[in-house]
Parts: sequence; C-alpha cells; structure tokens
Amino acid sequence: MASPSTTALLDQLATRAGPGAAVRAGGEEDSVDGVRPRLAAAPATGEALAATLASASSEGLSVRVRGGGTKQDWGAPGETVDLLLSSAALSRVVEHRHGDLTATVEAGATLASVNAALAAHGQRLPWDPPWPERATIGGIVATNDSGPRRHGHGAPRDSIIGVTMARIDGRVAKAGGVVVKNVAGYDLARLLSGSFGCLGVILTATFKLAPAPPASRTMRVEVDSLEAAAPIAAELAGSSLTPTAIEVAWAPARLLVRFESVEASVAQQAETACAIVGARGAVAVLGGEDEQGVWSRHAAHWSSGGTLVKLSTVPVELFPTLAWLRDRAATDGIEMAVAGRAGLGVVDVRLDGPPEAQAGLVGALRERLPAGRGSAVIRRSASDLRRRVDAWGPIGDGMRVMMAIKRQFDPAGLLNPGRGPGGL
Amino acid sequence: MERHVITALERIVGPDGIVRDEGELLTYETDGLVKLRSKPGVAVLPTSADQVQRIVRLCHEHKVPFVARGQGTGLSGGAMPHPDGVLIVMTRMNRILDVDIPNRRITVEPGVMNLDVSKAVAAAGYYYAPDPSSQVICSIGGNLAENSGGAHCLKYGFTVHHVLGVEAVLPDGELVHLGGPALDAPGLDLLGVLVGSEGTLAVVTKVVLNLLRKPAAVETLLAAFDSTEAAGNAVSGIIGAGIIPAAVEMMDRVTIEAAEAAVHPNFPKTEAILIVELDGAEADVAALFTRVEEVCKEARASEIQIARTPEQRARFWQGRKAAFAAMGRVSPSYYVQDGVIPRTRLPEVLGRIRDLSDRSGLKIGNVFHAGDGNLHPLVCYDERIEGQADLAQEVASEILTYCLDADGSITGEHGVGADKAEHLPKMFSENDLDTMQLVRCAFDPGYICNPGKVFPTPRLCGEVPGPYRKHPAEAAGLAERV
Repeated sequence: MASPSTTALLDQLATRAGPGAAVRAGGEEDSVDGVRPRLAAAPATGEALAATLASASSEGLSVRVRGGGTKQDWGAPGETVDLLLSSAALSRVVEHRHGDLTATVEAGATLASVNAALAAHGQRLPWDPPWPERATIGGIVATNDSGPRRHGHGAPRDSIIGVTMARIDGRVAKAGGVVVKNVAGYDLARLLSGSFGCLGVILTATFKLAPAPPASRTMRVEVDSLEAAAPIAAELAGSSLTPTAIEVAWAPARLLVRFESVEASVAQQAETACAIVGARGAVAVLGGEDEQGVWSRHAAHWSSGGTLVKLSTVPVELFPTLAWLRDRAATDGIEMAVAGRAGLGVVDVRLDGPPEAQAGLVGALRERLPAGRGSAVIRRSASDLRRRVDAWGPIGDGMRVMMAIKRQFDPAGLLNPGRGPGGL
Repeated sequence: MERHVITALERIVGPDGIVRDEGELLTYETDGLVKLRSKPGVAVLPTSADQVQRIVRLCHEHKVPFVARGQGTGLSGGAMPHPDGVLIVMTRMNRILDVDIPNRRITVEPGVMNLDVSKAVAAAGYYYAPDPSSQVICSIGGNLAENSGGAHCLKYGFTVHHVLGVEAVLPDGELVHLGGPALDAPGLDLLGVLVGSEGTLAVVTKVVLNLLRKPAAVETLLAAFDSTEAAGNAVSGIIGAGIIPAAVEMMDRVTIEAAEAAVHPNFPKTEAILIVELDGAEADVAALFTRVEEVCKEARASEIQIARTPEQRARFWQGRKAAFAAMGRVSPSYYVQDGVIPRTRLPEVLGRIRDLSDRSGLKIGNVFHAGDGNLHPLVCYDERIEGQADLAQEVASEILTYCLDADGSITGEHGVGADKAEHLPKMFSENDLDTMQLVRCAFDPGYICNPGKVFPTPRLCGEVPGPYRKHPAEAAGLAERV
C-alpha cells in the first residue's frame, strides 16, 4: 500500500487530534541530522498532545519529540521521522507549593522561565544544565541533563517526585505525586529520566525544590596540568566542605569550586578550600560579576562546536583517563577540550578533527573503560560520526530488560525510533 | 510443592540451606506486619549469587512463585511468603565485599545490615546516609526493595539516591548488572525503578552504595510546644526561612509518654516536641542553628533544649527511634500507619486524626518525619476486646483517605506490599496502574516474582496495544489478585 500523501495525513491528523494540536507540514527548520519530518505539531494542551499521539500511532507514524530543540542532535541519529511533536506550547508552571518546597510544571516550560517564577518565593530548581533560556523541563528530564551544581544537588532524576506522561496510544498516566516522600507504586518518573523520549512523552513533572541561597563564592584554581589538578580535586571532594560544584576544565587546566549558602559560610568555606589547595596552584576567590563571568565562560564549553562525549568513570580514575585521552588525541591530530564534574567523575569532552580519527579515539576510550566502571557516550556530533560509531556504546547485560520495557511501552517502535539508549 | 522441586532446591543450597519443617517454617510466615501470615511452601537460604540464580531459574522452569526476604522487618507484608512458593531468605549473603574510600563507594551483599555499612567506614570519616529507625536490624536488600528513608532523608534523600549499582537475578534466572560504581551508565534507569519495587522485579545479589563524608558539624535541638499545630508552624517557619535541616521529627503527647516509659529520654511533658538537627559545614550550622532557635521561639516554643554533647544528641534520637516499640508500654497492641501529606497540610490532617480518635475511642499517637510530611499515626487497641482490632484497622485506613484528600500518598516508606494493595487504586487511576505494570511485564512476564504484592490486580502481559479492554480471563473473574 502506498503511504498516504503528506497533505492527506495532515488533514487526517488535524481532524482526529482537533484544532488544539496545531498540525502543519514539516519544514526545513524542523530537520535534525538532515532528516526532515513530514509533519509537525505543537499541541496547546496535554490532552491535545495525547490525542495527537493517539492519532499518529494509530496511523503507524513515527514520532520525534521536541522541547526547546537544544538537544535534538543528541543520541543516535534518527532515520525517517513522520511527525515532530513539540511540547513547547505546554509552558505553564502549574503550581508552586512554596510552603512545601515543591512545584509542578509543564514539560515545555524552559528552565529559566520556571526559575524566574520560583524566585518569587526565594526557591529554585537547583540545576544549571546548558542553555537554560531554551532548554525545557521535559527535555532536561528526558536526557537527565545537568550542570556543575549536580555535585551538590544531584541530577534531575534526584529531584523528580512525580510525572504525568502520554503513552504512545494516547493514554495519559501518572506516577509519584506532589509529596517529597512517597513509595506508592513504581517510580516511572525515574524510569523516564534519561529515557530520551523513547517510552512516552512527559506532560508535567513535579519536583522538590531548593531554597535559593543568599550568597555564592567560587574558588578558581589554575594549575599546570591535569595531573596537577587531580590530587587537589580529590582532596576537595573528600573533605567535609559542602561545595555545590567542583568543576574541572582543560586546557588550560583549572578547577572551579563553588560554595552557595549564607555569607558567613561561603566566605569561610572558600578560605578553607584555598588552604587545602595551598601553593599547588594560582588561587582566586571570586564573587559578584567576576564569579558570573567565570561561570559563563565555563558554560561556553557546551555551546562551542565539535563533538561532545560524556565520559564517566569512578572519581579517582577520571584524571588518569583524561590524561591518557589528551595524549592519544594529540597523537591522532584531534583537538580536545574538557569541562565537567571533577568530584563525580563525569565530564564532557569536546573533540574536533577528522571523523574517522574521532571514531577511532572513542572506540579506544571505550576499550579502556572496564565494564560498569565507566562509559563514553557521544552526546552530540556531526551525524556522520554517530552513523560511524554507536553513540551510546556498550549497554551491558541490562539491555534485554530495556528492550522488553521498550516493547511494552511502544510495541511498534514509533517513539523516537532508534534514538534512545542502546538504539531503543 | 512438588517433591522433585524441593529435591532440586536442596541440591542447590545443601541440607543446611533449606527449611522444610512445618514448625520451622512458621518463623518465616510474617514480616514486621504480623497480622498478615502465610507459611511458605519451602524456604531456602542461599549463600551466593550463583545459588540464587539456580533457585530462581528452577522456579521459572516450574512456574513456582518466589518471594525474597531480608531481615523481615518490613511493615507492609511485602515479604509475606507465597503459600505454594519458595521463600528466598537472603540473610546468609551478608558479606561486605569491597570498601573503596577514595571513590566513596562500598560494595555489599544484600544481607548486610544497614548500620553495619556505616560502621565499616566510620573510622575513615564516612557513613551511609539512609537511616531507617530499624537500621540495627534491617538489611540493605530490604532497604533497596522498599526505597527506605529514615529521619535524615529530608536533606539526604532515600535509598534510591545512594544506590549506584546492583547485580540482580531476573525472574527468569538471568543475572544482570545495572549501574555500577561509575555514574551515568548508559541506558534506561532500571535501577531507578528497581529500587522501591518491593521485590516484584528481581532478586538483588550485590549492591554498590555511595558513601558520604561525615559532616564537619552537627547541632541538634529539642523544642517543646503546647500543641501540634504550633510545632507544625515551627516546621513551616524553618523551611520558609530557606533552611533544609538534616532532620525534623515530631512527637505528640501519646508517643512522648510512651518513649519516656520505655527509654527515659527525659523529654518535656508537653503536647508536642520537635527534634531538629542541622549538619554541614561549621559556619552553615552555626548561622542556621541560631535561626532555627529563633523560629521555634517565634512559634511559641515553651522550652528549647540543645544537645551539648554527643550523648545528649543520642538521648534525643534514642527517644525518637524507640517510639514505635515503646507504644507497647502504653497499649497492648498498636497498628503503625504510614502516610504522607504536603507538610503545609499538617495542622488540618492532624486535626482530622484527633477527631477520628475521639470518635472511635481509640488512642492515636503521632510520631513522624515532620520535615517531609511523612506521618506515622500509631493506632492503639486491645485485641482482647472484641472488634477492636478490626476497628483499629478501619481507623488506620481512614487516615489514609485523609492523606489522599490532602494530595498525599498512602505510603512514604513502609511500602504497599500486601497490606495496601487494595488502597493503591485510590491514589492511581486504571491507566496509571496499567502503565506501571508494563514495567512488571518487562521484568516478570510469568508473574512469579513476589506475586500479589503492590498491585491489586495483575496486568496480563503481552496484550496488544490499543484502548484498554479486559482480558477474557480477567473479565471472567479468573485473574483477580492472587
């Protein structure tokens, strides 16, 4: 049977999903990795989004989910896409229960807009992933993306307490709730965190919040090499100080250690941190605009071009792995830069160079990481590289359960096909 | 149970590892929720992951249900055995396998006691954060199944925040490794859904836990109030001031008196006390502790005691943690309820519980994690008085409806288990439960892993997608809760 024309599909979907679905023909601006969706929809409500999904799946259309579009090129590159389904119109803060330190927000709200609303009561979602002005809550949760403050506050999966999702067949389901402590039923909110939209579409999410701290200070430590940064990072992470971030960046090699609390505490903790570093590096304690400046320059790592590989190891193996990678990249003629969570062992390595050399480097890195003790995932790259090398790398023996879950949630494999972890 | 299955089990675990004697099996017929009893077909005590794997594979081949059990301290009947099934008792798998201080990790078998994890790393200045009240006698495997919290989870989170990896046996006998000592293992967060799944998805055989550095400073105070409302206002005031204490615990008059009778913590004789603990960097604790004191005074605390020594702090906590067991001093029997409400709804819900106590004539003590709204009403009764046990059950159930009316949950830490499965549909729709059970179907399509727990009605796996319709067996009433 010949597939129906785009116009016919458009009519059909618009009729079935209702005017709220805002269905239109896919344009060049909707393309990802050179794949242009036939249709695009930005439903105005969760119900309309679910109805759109139901209509699309009953037609057997493949669906790519989009929030702010900041991470569309993350994960395995998709093949064809019939419908680009945007959650961008679902942008409300549904409820801020400030007395309970929780908030429920729609998936399409940007992190910056949510935090602007929460600031009215001195609270926030304490995450700082890249592009907060554009990145949406749904996208941040679906990728479980985080930033420097993950050191002190965890990743989105650590703050999420409830979720509402639309299943591929349009059924809407929730899990968790609005209370911070709750063990009733299975924790689907965590299952969806980092699922890359391959199990369902997040409509709303509820989080426990953090009070916005009154004061902040950042210690910058400049050292000669990654090797020199390693023991300092280890000592800071193993100390009883309570930094919200311990970042490494290279090159040149430096550490950024942030303290956020009351003034007396951030001043004293920064002083103690400086004493730990001693004469091993050039130390500066930054506040105010200087501090903001150092963090926005740090964040530029994620906005620069090139390949972005998320490298994860146990904390003490991070620096030796980075040093090995640096030497190998130099040999292979690949430019490299690093930024990420020194205390946790999770960094993003930026690579620039011939795709075949990058592919070789990623392969060699994966071989070096023992199973369960590290991983190297290509988050973002030219689609060429992700077609050459599996973006996710080995998943391990849990893969069969993941595939079984995918089959249960999306039997026909229509949601973000091939893009999710392990190509789910 | 078929004889050849028992013979095969004995071959796996040896004669020392199997319990078949009817009398000895009675030991295992309940967990901490003694009202629900069921004697297992047979109990086995494996000593290795390999044995667990062979046991589960055997169950899979013969379609025999199995239930994993740790120390049996659960309070929802989650480890209640299946009468025709195998009870897998994990207590002999109790070795600490690896302590890795530089990476702040510890690898343990599931039978290791919660407190023993912290003890193993205390000398190095570290600890394991989740601290359920039963931490002396509860094991990590059970903590993982229940996603246990504890008094300090307000600031530090639950088991799910501290488990980094597991080795587990799936219901078909396959061994899998989820997560690991490094963060962000690629793939779906199966660990996130396995933790708290109440033993219905897999049997865990090894666990990698995250360790925390002991805080530089800890300060604890005890504040007395003339009413639970006033104490509740103090809690709101503390959170509203942007302070996240390590713990905020509340006890009411009934539980204060019980604790006094049992362990003599010398608590003020008043309507409500709060125990507030701050920890962290010294300057933080110093600045914020003063603020907490001020908030308590503003909320009209009649007395504030500050723990000046570790012994005094231990006395506060001993009084609090003894509260459940101490109820035996003031009532012949009691039922511990576990519900959650948004903390701003505390005064309203406590008021309703008080009215319920007056109406039913049953004394209800309240001891709870006030910071996170996790209530533990203790419904006192005397089983020698006819009908009172049933009345206590009804009263406890009614409290759950108050929690749901306040947008809360039917369980904050004890789990759904066998006890509350019938309440789960009050909190979740048919679609919600159906979706959760998609996970169950992926892990355990044969429905042999702790069947009958959590969900009131099993979802039949392998249904075609589309609008929900009842499976013929379900429609015919053949597929009700086991």
